This record gives sequence, C-alpha cells and structure tokens, in this order.
Amino acid sequence: MKHLLTGALVASALTTGAQAQEITLGRFFGACEDAGTDTETSVGEACIIQSIINAADAEIEGVSVETLPTDWGNYYDQIKAAYAGGTPPDIHVMHRHRVPEFAGIGALADLTDDLEAAGIDPADWTESARAAVTHDGAIYGVPMDLHANLWHVNMALMEQAGLVQDGKPVLPSSPEELLEHAKMLKEATGQDYLAADFAQFPIGVRLVLALLWQQGSNIFTEDGTATIETAEAQAAVEAITQLFAEDLANPQLNYADSQQAFLNGEAAVLVNGTWVVDFYTAEAAKEETGLDDYYVADFPSLFGEGATWADSHIWVIPSPLEANDAEKYQAALKVLAFINDHNIDWARTGHMAVRNSVLESETYQSLPHRAEYAGTVEIARDTPPSESYGAIQDILNRELQAIWLTDKPVEDALADAEIEVQDQLDR
Amino acid sequence: MASKRSPLSRLSQAQSAALLLLPFLATYALFLVYPFFRGVWISLHDWNLLEVAFNPDAKEFVGARNYVRVMWGRGIEWSAWARPGLQLFALAGLVLAAILHATRRIGRGPAIGLAAAALLLFVVAGIHAGEEGRWYDRRFWPTVGNTILFVALTVPGVTISALVLAAAMNRETRAMSVLRTLFFLSQVLSVTVVTLIWQIMFSPRQGLVANITELTGGSPVNWLTDERFAMAAIVIPTIWWSLGIAMILFLAGLQDISRDLYEAGALDHATGAKAFWYITLPNLKRTITVVIVLQIILHFQVFGQSHLMTQGGPNDETQVLVRYIYQTAFRDSELGRASAMAVFLFLIIGAFSVVQFLVGREKD
Amino acid sequence: MLSRSYFWLVTALSIPAFLWLVPTIWMVSLSFQPNDVLARTTSSTALGLVPIPFTADNYAALFAFGQTPMWFLNSVVVALGMTLGVLAVSTTAGFALARLNFPFKAPIVVLCLIGLMVPEQAVFIPLYTMFADLGWHNSYHALILPRMAVPIGVFLMMQFFKAIPKDIEEAARLEGVSWLQIFWHVMLPLARPAMMTLAILTFLYAWNDYLWPLVSAQQRDYFTITLGLASIQSNFAQSEGLGRVMASGVIASLPVVILFLIFQRYVVQAMTAGGSKG
Repeated sequence: MKHLLTGALVASALTTGAQAQEITLGRFFGACEDAGTDTETSVGEACIIQSIINAADAEIEGVSVETLPTDWGNYYDQIKAAYAGGTPPDIHVMHRHRVPEFAGIGALADLTDDLEAAGIDPADWTESARAAVTHDGAIYGVPMDLHANLWHVNMALMEQAGLVQDGKPVLPSSPEELLEHAKMLKEATGQDYLAADFAQFPIGVRLVLALLWQQGSNIFTEDGTATIETAEAQAAVEAITQLFAEDLANPQLNYADSQQAFLNGEAAVLVNGTWVVDFYTAEAAKEETGLDDYYVADFPSLFGEGATWADSHIWVIPSPLEANDAEKYQAALKVLAFINDHNIDWARTGHMAVRNSVLESETYQSLPHRAEYAGTVEIARDTPPSESYGAIQDILNRELQAIWLTDKPVEDALADAEIEVQDQLDR
Repeated sequence: MASKRSPLSRLSQAQSAALLLLPFLATYALFLVYPFFRGVWISLHDWNLLEVAFNPDAKEFVGARNYVRVMWGRGIEWSAWARPGLQLFALAGLVLAAILHATRRIGRGPAIGLAAAALLLFVVAGIHAGEEGRWYDRRFWPTVGNTILFVALTVPGVTISALVLAAAMNRETRAMSVLRTLFFLSQVLSVTVVTLIWQIMFSPRQGLVANITELTGGSPVNWLTDERFAMAAIVIPTIWWSLGIAMILFLAGLQDISRDLYEAGALDHATGAKAFWYITLPNLKRTITVVIVLQIILHFQVFGQSHLMTQGGPNDETQVLVRYIYQTAFRDSELGRASAMAVFLFLIIGAFSVVQFLVGREKD
Repeated sequence: MLSRSYFWLVTALSIPAFLWLVPTIWMVSLSFQPNDVLARTTSSTALGLVPIPFTADNYAALFAFGQTPMWFLNSVVVALGMTLGVLAVSTTAGFALARLNFPFKAPIVVLCLIGLMVPEQAVFIPLYTMFADLGWHNSYHALILPRMAVPIGVFLMMQFFKAIPKDIEEAARLEGVSWLQIFWHVMLPLARPAMMTLAILTFLYAWNDYLWPLVSAQQRDYFTITLGLASIQSNFAQSEGLGRVMASGVIASLPVVILFLIFQRYVVQAMTAGGSKG
C-alpha cells in the first residue's frame, strides 16, 4: 500500500512537473529512509527533517527535492569539496558558526532582498536567529532552530539520592556542590552522577566552555587573542575532573555509549543537546529502558552567571546558483520557505523554534518538557565568530581529552591549547 | 595466424613496444606524473581550497614556507640525549649492523642500509624544541610517529601469521581449501564494513568483546577511547582484514618450491619446523620481500580505520598521516600545507621501498 | 601416520579459523535481530551469535527504501571498469618491458619503479583539483581513471612475463610471427594465472577504496558501497538502528563474498597450474 502511494506521488510529480525544477539538498542529521510525508508524527531529528523534505517534494508544485548523503562526520569536508568542485547542492544546512567561513569568501547567496517575495518574513524571527544568519549586514540563510546543551535528568535516581524538590531536580550551584551531589548519588544508588560524550564529539568541550562563560571568561577575544591559560579555564576544567578523580563519572564513554548509559539508568544526568528530547521522551515511555521518569533541565550555573553552549542550524543557497540559474534559485527559495513554514514540526525534536509566532503558539508551548528548559534561550552562548571554528573546537577537544583520557596536567594542556588556538587565529 | 599480412604484423620490435606501452604511459603521465608535480607546485603556495575555487588568483607563492610551518619550529635544537631510549636503541642498531657484517651474517648492502637507518634514527631522535622553542605544528611529527607505529605493529602481524598459516595449509585437500577460504573471507569486505563490525565489536556496552569480558568476570575496556588500547583497536581489525592477500601470495610462493627439495631435506632429517626453517624460508625470500613491501606501502596509507573508528583519538593517539592530510585539505581548506605533507608521505614511502628493494635484491 | 598428524593439523587450524569468522557471524546475526532489543542488549542468545529473537525487518526496510542496491551497483561498475582497465594497460606494458628491446627501455622501467613509490594518497589533492577544473567529479570515469595509472600491475606482469622461457617466443619468431601476435596468441594465454591475481588485487582495491571516492563523489548517485556505508554508520545513526546498519553491511558484503567463493576455486587452480608449469 505504502509503495503504491509513493509510486503514485512520484508519478504525479512526473506528470504535473513537465519542467519540474530538481533541487538537490545537502544535510546531516543522519538517514531516515522511510520518513514518509507526515511532518507531524515523525520522531527524531533524522526522520522529522526528512518528512519535511519529503512533504516539500510532494507539495510544492513544479519542484522536486533530492536529498544528498546525510553523513555527519564528513559533512563540512564534503560540502567544501563540492563547492570547490563546482557542484554544491542547491540548498544545504549548516551551522551558524560556519557562516563567517562560507559567507566571508562569497560562497553563499545574499538572500536579503528575496525573502519577502518568497514568503519568508525575517521580522518574525527572534533576534538571535536573525543574528545567526546575518554576516556584514546581509542575510545569508534561513534559520531553523536554536539548539543548546541541556541537562537530561533521570528523576528516579535523583529521588533516591534525595535530590528532588517540588517535582524538580535539585541541581548544583557551585563546583563543590556538584561534587557533593555526585557523592550523595553514588552512595544512594551506586550509579554515576553525570555522563556525557567526553571521548569523541566535542560535547565535553561545550560543557567546559559553558563553565568558562559562567565566569565571564572566553577562549578568545573578538580581536583574535587566545585566552585559555587562565584561572577561570582551570576552574572550569577541574569542576569536571573532580568527578572523574572520584569515579563519579566516566570520561571514556563516547556519544552512543554515554547515551546508552543514561537510558539504562546508569547515570543520573546526561549532558547532551536539545536534539534528543523527543527521542528520550519516547524511550522513557517504554517499559524496557532503565529511564522511566525523565526531566529536562536548563544547564545549571556553577559560577554565578548563567551560560550554556548553543548554536543554530540554518539553510543556505550557494552563490553560484543565484548567479547562474534564476529559475532554480526561485525554486530553492520555495523549499526554504516551506522549511520555514514547518518550524513547529522541527521544534518537536526538542530544538527551540526561531519564529516568534511559533514560540508564542499553544502547540509549541505544550510540547513535552518544553516548560522545563524555557530558561535556556536566555543563557545560550557561543564563542566569537571565527573562520577556523572547526579547527579550534578540534584543538580544544584534543587537549581536553588529553586531560581526562591520558592524564595530561591541566596547566600544560591549557597552555598548549592557547598556543595552538592562537596559531589558528593568526592564520 | 590469419592476420599475418596486416600492417600491424610488420611493426618492428621498437614500434610494437611503443604501441603496447602507449596506453599505460598515457594514463601514467596524465594521472600520476602530472598530478605528482602539480602537488609539489601546490605545496609551494598558500592555497585555500574554497577561496581559490571562487577566485583562481587567490593563491600566493610562498616558497618552502609550508614545509617549514609543518615540519620545523622555532628554537629547534639537537642533542645526543634528547630521547635517550630511542637514541640508545639507534646506537645499538649501528653496533648490530657492524657485528652482523663482521661475522658475515649479512652482506655489505644490508649492513650499510641498517647502519644508515640506525644513524638516521639517532640523528632524528636528537632533534627537539629547546627551552624557548616550539614546533610550528605540534601535531605533525607525533602523527608520523603514530603512522610508523601502526605499520610496525600491522606488517609483522600480517606477515608472520599469513606465513605460518600458508605453510600449515599448503596441501591440496578439501579441508585445507575450506580453511583457506575462511581465512581469506574477511579480505573481500570493504573498509567501511570492517570498521562497522569492529567499532561495535569493541563497544564497551554493545560489543562482543565486552560481553565476553563480562562473562569471564572482567570489566569491559573502552577500546576505542582508552589511550592504551586505541592503537590496538585499529591494528587488530587491520590484521583480521588484510591477512588474506598475504596468505594467498605466500601459498603461490610455496607452490613454486620444488618437492624434491623437501625430499632431499627429509634424507637429512629436516622435516616439520626444521624443513620450514631451512628449506621453506630461504626459498620464500623473494615472496616475503614482495609481501612486506606491499604491506608497508599499503598500511602507511591507512586512513579509514582511524577516520571511522577512533576519529584519530583519544588525544590524537591514532591520528595517522593520511587522515591529517585529508583534514588539513578538506576541513581546514589548506591545500598548500596538506600538499607539503603529501610530498613528505611520498618521500617516506619512497625511502622504505628503496631500502626493501635493496635488501630483497641482495639476498637473491 | 600421516593422516593422524593431518587430522590434528586440521583440528588445530579450525579453532583460529572459527575465531576469524566470529566477527562476520556476529554482523550477520545482529542484522537479523530487532532494533529495540539491540538498543538494550546485543547478547540475547549465545553472546548474540545466534539471531534469537529473530526478525527480517531490517532487510525488508533496506529493500523498500534503501539506497544500498544503487551504491552496490556503482561499486560493481567502478570495480569492473578499473579491473579491465588495469589489466589492459598492465599486460601490454608488462609484456613490452619484459620481452621486447627498444630504445629508452631502462629509463622507462626505472620511471615505473619510481611510480611504484608514489602512493595514491600522496597525489589525491592535485588529482582532486585537476578533476575539479575539468568538471569530472561525480562520474564513473573520475572514480576509475586514477587507479589505472598506478604501475604496480605493470610491475607484476613484467615479473611474470620475464619468468617465461625464451624458447617459446624464439620458435614463434623463427616462423615469422609478429610481436603483437606473440603477445596476443602466446603470452596472454600463458599469463592467465597472473592476470587473475592482478584482477583480484585490483577488484578488491577498487571495492575497498574509501579516500578517493570520499573526495570525488559528493552526490549519492555516484556513491560506492564503501562510501555509502560510511555515510550511514555515523554514531548518531548507530544508536538508533544497529540491526539496520548491520543489514546494510551484510548486503554490501554478501554478493562479493559469493562472487569470491565461486571465483576462488578458479584462482587457486590457476595458481597451482601456473606453479607446476613454471
């Protein structure tokens, strides 16, 4: 039946669109091959975005959308290789932090004057979302979300450790309290207090960055001076390493393993992004998982100021398309408008919406756990814009891993990181 | 032969040769010789992948700066005791070469080769950044070291196990051919299937290895993220994966050894392990050399295992040269620097090939 | 006496052979287990080596929606194209270098030997920019051509042709047979075992190559199976559908394994025949 349906859709697309514009689309988020076109019931980042894309393919007249590979690890390498080879996808997703690198050399189409006509209202975007796609005063993309690090909490474990009050978890407000809570939890449950991917993806970096920002510090300044060998950075790192030293957290877990530990009820807190809220909600509803009572909390402040790592996913069009193929460019804009219209569906992942009209809507506010991390918008932060964002994250990830996986002294690691980041900034 | 009168049959020897060589030489020149020199040319430029794609004039000639930036540093010094362990080992190698040559265990060529390698190691190991100095690129040399370690673990692993298995299975029976097939099977898998299997094999929660460890009462090891095991975690799958070809080549070599030799050996009571040592090994020298050369060249270019299984981590412990080149080119967009490293890769592989080639020739 | 030691040898070898097979069995077994079970444990029955609970859903899903079949076909086209190409240029050049005399022969041999030292990974960047300038990326020829230039095949064929006794071709020369005919009618049939070896080496290389397709093919229409699998095994996907990913791995491997099992008998025979004749 399903086959017949897709077959019919394909057939109708073929007959109606005699000169249908085929738009190639590049994205990460992983593959979801049987996503369908129902944008309201799909679960998880991969399936939700693919259902929106499939719907765009089916519903926009005269436009068909072909999704390119969805590989995570090599995404930017491959996008760059595609640009340099003259064959970039017609639209693709990217992070806010990559805008300086791509827009800086004129790789992205300037959409400023075309958005209104395409049915996209930039005035409806939140201020931070507008800032995310703006470079040198021009708009280079359509924002899709604001995503940030959260504390995903297993309430049953917290309850056993006496760390629940009024139905909310009691979270630490200082490094000392963090250690104390972790010890209490270990004693009461035998489980780890905190888990995160400290071993592979830069989630540990984002954690340390948050603790750094909470002290009003940063890894480099807007004018390009690295400031990593500082007392603040040391304090931020040691807030984490004290947990490893006392065996209250395991630095060797990667993304999949740390997630599995949390779902198995082997860790009370998982530090991970907004993108998994709906997935964990679904898992918690299942009988078999070790997570039954799931709560989502804002990243707590351990040092006074509130701050958590955040970024945005945005959609862009390569500049050569605008310059060479006006019709296709218009078709690409239609797809962007369609994605913009489905901002609410994307927000079901757990990401924060970027349109004020969506943020204020009943549907959005009643999404699961949404109220629990409402404060995250206020504390969302990122490092200053830089063309070598990726390389800098990589340096920090390596040096931090060196600290907790290979026992490198904190001072040495921070000093080395500062030198290397400065090298990147000077290039 | 029907085509005797065709013009092709009247070609002289040289003309025939030219005709037969043409297809190869054309592709060789276009897709290897030219790219090679183009690579050297790129390495002399400050060349940003994206910028040059949008503006071909955005490259800048910088001479040898990329090489300096990658391989050298500020305040670099040399001393005989920078890395005592490694340098003593090198000196020992030098002495060994002299002794082996004096006692006529090895010929002049290999002795000179071994001595040169030992001397080179002694000198290279003595180079270090002084008090105030530092390497411009702190990752490059450790990455080279990791790659050498990977090769040094993988090549003997593959060669020895393939040789032993081939010798044990060198019989034309049904059981042996089934066994050979089983050992060869993993070879046909693609690198991504291999990394897929072993990534999960090694996973501390989902992995078979962890399941077995837990069954025997141990606590599971984080193979891919523990600095002590990460290199092993990419070497083991590599041996598992690439044993087959070496084994097949050895089997082919074994079948070239005449049965008479073994029969003659048996008269001198050389059977089993003795026969292997005195008859099989000497007669396989050529094959062994070929296998080792192929393996070194192959494994020095390791990429997928490191890229997909450990992402070079933890803390760069499994970062290998080709992955660094790939990252520098396509993540950091610095084609010039990446090309300088590629030229270095060429030099190192070239050096290994020459050494191996000379060693192999000497013994024939 | 001989049969007993032979029996023990086979038994002793069976153990490592089984261990060698375990990872593959495990992949196959996981691919037949439901994803929600795998998310909790991978060792339901016999350490997970037996697929109980059993399901074929992972395969059904792959065939219904997957791109795996297309990637697989791409790999076949690329690997076959590369194999034929390498055989064509290597046998001709190998014969010329081994058996013919002509000016500049020595320098050409040396040039080829030097080329042996140039690893593909050392030239992939200039090749990338060159193919980008030509607009060749995302095509079969972009995936095939670079490998044809690698002289390892020429080297192998040259070694083989050198080992063939002179009197065979001398007899033919006396009868006035041309060099091209000697190559085609005398040498090529003799070279079949060596060509099989080279073909298998090349096919496996093509099948397994990851770096060059990774930089050259950015459109999934030209993904090889190796590249396609890399794209679905990222960690995010892994934690959500282990059985599915393993099923793609099996689909990607199965046809090559079958092909090899049929082919291998021929290879071993060819090698043995070549060995006894030589």
